Amino acid sequence: MTELQLIGLGTWSPKHGNWAEFCTGVTTGDWRDDVMLQPDLIPPRERRRAPQLVKMAIEVMDQACKIADLAPDDVAIVFSSVMGDLQITDYMCTALAQTPKLVSPTKFHNSVHNAAPGYWSITTGAFCPASAVSAYEFTSTMALLEASVQAVEEQTPVLCVTQEIAAPLALMDTCPSEVPFSAAFLLAPAGYSDAPLATLRFAVEPGEAEWPALEEGFAEFASNMSARLLPLLASLARGDDANLSFPVNAATRIVISASLDGS
Amino acid sequence: MRLSITHYSATSAAGTGLAALRESLATRQSGLRRNDFPDCDLDTWIGRVPGVEDVVLPAGLEHLQSRNNQLAWLGLQQDSTLDAIAALAERLGPSRIGVVMGTSTSSIGRTEEAYTQLEASGRMKPEYRQPEVHNLHSPGIFVAAVTGITGPSLTISTACSSSAKVFATATRWIKHGLVDAALVGGVDSLCLSVLYGFNSLELVSSEQCRPFDRDRGGINIGEAAGYAILTRRDLAPDAELLLAGYGESSDAYHMSHPHPEGKGAIYSMSRALERAAMAPGEVGYVNLHGTASKANDKVETYALAERFTDTTLVSSTKAWTGHTLGAAGILESVIAIDTLETGLLPGTLNCEHTDPEFRFPVMTDNVEKTIDCSMTNSFGFGGNNASLVFRRRDD
Repeated sequence: MTELQLIGLGTWSPKHGNWAEFCTGVTTGDWRDDVMLQPDLIPPRERRRAPQLVKMAIEVMDQACKIADLAPDDVAIVFSSVMGDLQITDYMCTALAQTPKLVSPTKFHNSVHNAAPGYWSITTGAFCPASAVSAYEFTSTMALLEASVQAVEEQTPVLCVTQEIAAPLALMDTCPSEVPFSAAFLLAPAGYSDAPLATLRFAVEPGEAEWPALEEGFAEFASNMSARLLPLLASLARGDDANLSFPVNAATRIVISASLDGS
Repeated sequence: MRLSITHYSATSAAGTGLAALRESLATRQSGLRRNDFPDCDLDTWIGRVPGVEDVVLPAGLEHLQSRNNQLAWLGLQQDSTLDAIAALAERLGPSRIGVVMGTSTSSIGRTEEAYTQLEASGRMKPEYRQPEVHNLHSPGIFVAAVTGITGPSLTISTACSSSAKVFATATRWIKHGLVDAALVGGVDSLCLSVLYGFNSLELVSSEQCRPFDRDRGGINIGEAAGYAILTRRDLAPDAELLLAGYGESSDAYHMSHPHPEGKGAIYSMSRALERAAMAPGEVGYVNLHGTASKANDKVETYALAERFTDTTLVSSTKAWTGHTLGAAGILESVIAIDTLETGLLPGTLNCEHTDPEFRFPVMTDNVEKTIDCSMTNSFGFGGNNASLVFRRRDD
């Protein structure tokens, strides 16, 4: 059993701009349409050039740090996504299928999976450890597990991001993500904060698990493999304690309980 | 927490398996060759592993076909690695072992190929619709499937530090009790994305790369697969070789240029030494990132000068293998670990003239010397750094 604190949350999709709007959506069914992505942390000129995937990550990471009232240069990062920047992959593979093969140097250096933590480090001046991971369909649960173990073993806050942008047509058959979704969990070792959002407990055990069903309001995220922690977020948004099982691979599951009164 | 290293192996242009790698290093025979990668007309040299395209994946895993998985499979078949994993799984149970792989571009070579023959509708042809291949976890999926390991599996992709960071993650997993042992590794294979991508940044050399030479003209791209088995020390009490420490950091500077004073590199080396509870003077050899790019090599000497004195010997082995990107961490870890075993410290190949801007001397000739501790550095795009400390047991 692993115990740790959830001290900040951030989330974004085209139908909600932040955690407060997510809570409103979950409790009242009122969602917004076509929410713009405008991360304040990135200077406006840089913002125009930054890829969507980077902007989504920076936005939710910044939200989570603000909720926790934690300086953004003081947290380790575990960024995750199944496929990384699907738009840049599409651009690179399209360009390389032509003659002559010409690729943009900026797009190439933005194509690394750790582009988002790289921009975060540059923007915030953070020298902290930063990782970028994938575990295919289990990316979101493995990222949460990786970040939790790091928070406990290194006794440091860790910002875990799980997100996917929409897939271009050619990649739809292999990574069918239709609507972008991003979430950041700011995790800390037990005892770190006097006022955590929740206490999380994990157990990892052999055995299969089904993905918990998404509620009706989340139908458009069903194809987004990085949105599979939505049932946990929805439970937190409603102010309910949670006790959920998720697969971390075909033979192993993680049982996550969240208690909001800090007990 | 120190871990036992019970097995290691690497496959690169400098040799398929450990014996061939040792031979190349001892005889100073580079594995680089003039670029002959299909559909690539760039004037450069590459570190291509012979015969990767002829490797046949095991029956039942044909759906994982990609050059990257072919290289992963070739690497796994060297040095009795599969036997070592099978014995460990038999002893601990497959669910008590984790798989942590590193890669920069995963199986994107296969995605590139699919894009050259898309259907008129814009979709991939049916034979290319391989969901478990066109994603960043492809090496983790392949290695778990082929070895039968069922514990947690993860792929780390932080550009050129990817398969150095796998050692840090595995240590935390084992310390936490999530698993008792881990198969760590890295696989990156040649593909058009990295060849043309690095070329667009004007970082690719038209001659054999010359790390730390005054006249170095950039990098040669290479490919490699490597693996190591790490266990809790009580599970391998006789193991001589240990992972003693790891350090990870970010540069907070630029996406494709290192911090001008090597600040991130200093942090990663310092954190690794701190975790290992060792003084810099105890380190006998450091296998450097040493890519042969103008900026990296200069800045890496700045960082070394902050932490080490010249009693520590340092070199780059990239003129043997090319820069194997996401596999560089594991390949150069294997080289650094093996110096403890062989006492052969490889001097930097192709380095003839020292650069007056350097602040730390880099060894150019091979040295035979018994050492107790070695290190390796891996620095990646996005300003992502990792350093590892290996040592012979001292208890």
